[in-house]
Amino acid sequence: MKTTGETIVTKDILVLGGGIAGIQSSLDLAEMGFKVYLVERLPSIGGKMAQLDKTFPTNDCAI
Amino acid sequence: MLDVGRHPNIKLLAYSELEKLTGEAGNFTATVRKKARYVEEDKCTGCGACREVCPTPVIDLYNEGHAQRKAIYSWFAQGIPSTHTIDPDHCRVLTGKKCGICQKKCQAGAINFEQKDTVLELPVGAVILATGYDVFDPSRIPEYRYKDIDNVVTAMEFERFLSASGPTEGHVYRPSDRKVKAEIAELDNKVRKSLKGLEKFEKDHGMTSAEFYAAHGNGSLNPTEALEKDRDKWVERYSAHLEHETPLLALKEKAKGFKSAKKLAFIQCVGSRDLRFYPFCSGYCCMHAIKEAIISHEHDNDTHSVIFGMDIRAVGKGFEEYKIRGGNNSNIVYKRSRVAEITKDGDERPVVIYEDTKEQKVKKEAFDLVILATACGPVKGAGKIAETLDIQMDRFGFFETDPANPLDTTRAGVFVCGCAHSPMDIPESVAQASSAAARAVQAVMKKNDQKAS
Repeated sequence: MKTTGETIVTKDILVLGGGIAGIQSSLDLAEMGFKVYLVERLPSIGGKMAQLDKTFPTNDCAI
Repeated sequence: MLDVGRHPNIKLLAYSELEKLTGEAGNFTATVRKKARYVEEDKCTGCGACREVCPTPVIDLYNEGHAQRKAIYSWFAQGIPSTHTIDPDHCRVLTGKKCGICQKKCQAGAINFEQKDTVLELPVGAVILATGYDVFDPSRIPEYRYKDIDNVVTAMEFERFLSASGPTEGHVYRPSDRKVKAEIAELDNKVRKSLKGLEKFEKDHGMTSAEFYAAHGNGSLNPTEALEKDRDKWVERYSAHLEHETPLLALKEKAKGFKSAKKLAFIQCVGSRDLRFYPFCSGYCCMHAIKEAIISHEHDNDTHSVIFGMDIRAVGKGFEEYKIRGGNNSNIVYKRSRVAEITKDGDERPVVIYEDTKEQKVKKEAFDLVILATACGPVKGAGKIAETLDIQMDRFGFFETDPANPLDTTRAGVFVCGCAHSPMDIPESVAQASSAAARAVQAVMKKNDQKAS
C-alpha cells in the first residue's frame, strides 16, 4: 500500500452492499465512531440473509 | 437491520449504485446514483395502501418467482427502509398508460411520478466491498431437468416455501400442485363470469341452462317466440361455459388428492465441486440442507429427508453435532452418492437415479420434492463492479485478494468481505465483515497519524 505523500481528507467510509456482511461492517464502524455510507442496490437492505426463513445453528429468525 | 436504519453514524443509501470511484486511499470521491423510487422517502409511512390498489401484478423475485407483487412494492415486509418503490418497467403511469390510482390512495402524498435520480458525490477514506453472491443457475445441468420438472427447486426457493411469510405460508406444497390450484382459480373466475351471462336467460325463460341445453339437444324444446330469439345465443354461451366448467370439475377432483410434500431429497454440490462449472466447495450448502430438512421436520413430523452428497462437510463450531442431531431426531438419512439424473413419474414426482455406494447398486427412488443445493457463484455484474472500482477479479469472478492480507483488494483502501470475497456461511461473513471494518479503520487512521507527524 502506498503510504507516503497522501493527505487525508476524510475518515468517512463507504460500504457497498447491504447484506449481512455490509450490515455488520457498517455497524462496527458506526459503533467505533466513524461515519458510514451504506449503499444497497435493492430497495431494502438484508440481502440473501433476509430471504432465509431461519438461520443455523439456533434456528432463529434471520430478520 | 433495524439498527442500521436508526444509527446516527450510518447514512443508508438504498436503491442506489456506485458509478465512479476516483482518488486514492484516504481521499476517494465516490459518485453514487440514488435511483428514483417515485415515492418520497421522508413522506412514505410504509402503510401499503398503494400496494393494495395497484392493478399491475409483477413476478416477485424476493420470493424467487413463486409469488406476485405489485408494480408499487416494498422488497419485503420488514424491509429497511420501509419506503415503497415504484417499478418503472411495469408501472402503468411510468410506461405511458393511464392510472395513478396509488397517488389518489396515498394519504401521505408521498407518490411523485416526476421524481428523478439524484447523483451524490461522497468524500470517503476507504471502501468496503460486500456485494455478496448469486446462486448458480441449475438449468445449466441438463440431467437435473430443473426447468422441466416443477417439483425440482433450489434451496433458496425451498427456503421461501418454509417461511411463514412466503408464498405457501410455511406449508411445503408441491409447485406442480400449486400450478393446478392457480389453474382452478383462473377457471373458477371464468365460470363465475359465464354463469352471470346465463342468468338473464334462465330468469326470462324459467328453466336452468342445463335443462334448456338438454331439450335443445334432443329436440324436445317447445320454444316460445322470445326463447326462439334467444336460442342461438343461449346455446353459444352455454357451450362456452361448459368449455371451462368441464376441465374445472376434473381439476377440482384431482386437487382433492393433494398433500404437502413429505418425502424430500436434497441434492448437494449442484454446480460446485464439479469440474464442468465451479471446482470449489461452496462451503455452506451442506449445513443449509440439514437446516432445511430439520425445519421441514419441525413443520410436519411425518417429513422424511434424504441428503445425497459426496460427503457432508460439517466443518465448524457445533456443525457436526447439528448434523448428528438432524439424523437422530429429524428423520434425515445421509446417502453418500452423486445423483446422476432426475426424471419424473406420472404423478409429477421427481425420480432420483443414483448409485448407492455402500451397496454398489444403481437405484431409482421417487420423492415429492427435490431440493438442489446450488453453488455460490460470483454476483451478477461483478465485472462491472470491478471495472468501476478498478480492481482485479479471480478466475471465477470473485474479487482478487492479497494472500498476506486476505481482505485487501488490488486497490489500496478498498477491502472486501463476505461472499464477494469467496463462498462462505453467515458466521464467517460476519467475522470477516468485522475484520474488514478494522482494516478500513487502519487505512484511514494510519494516514491521519502520518499527516499529524
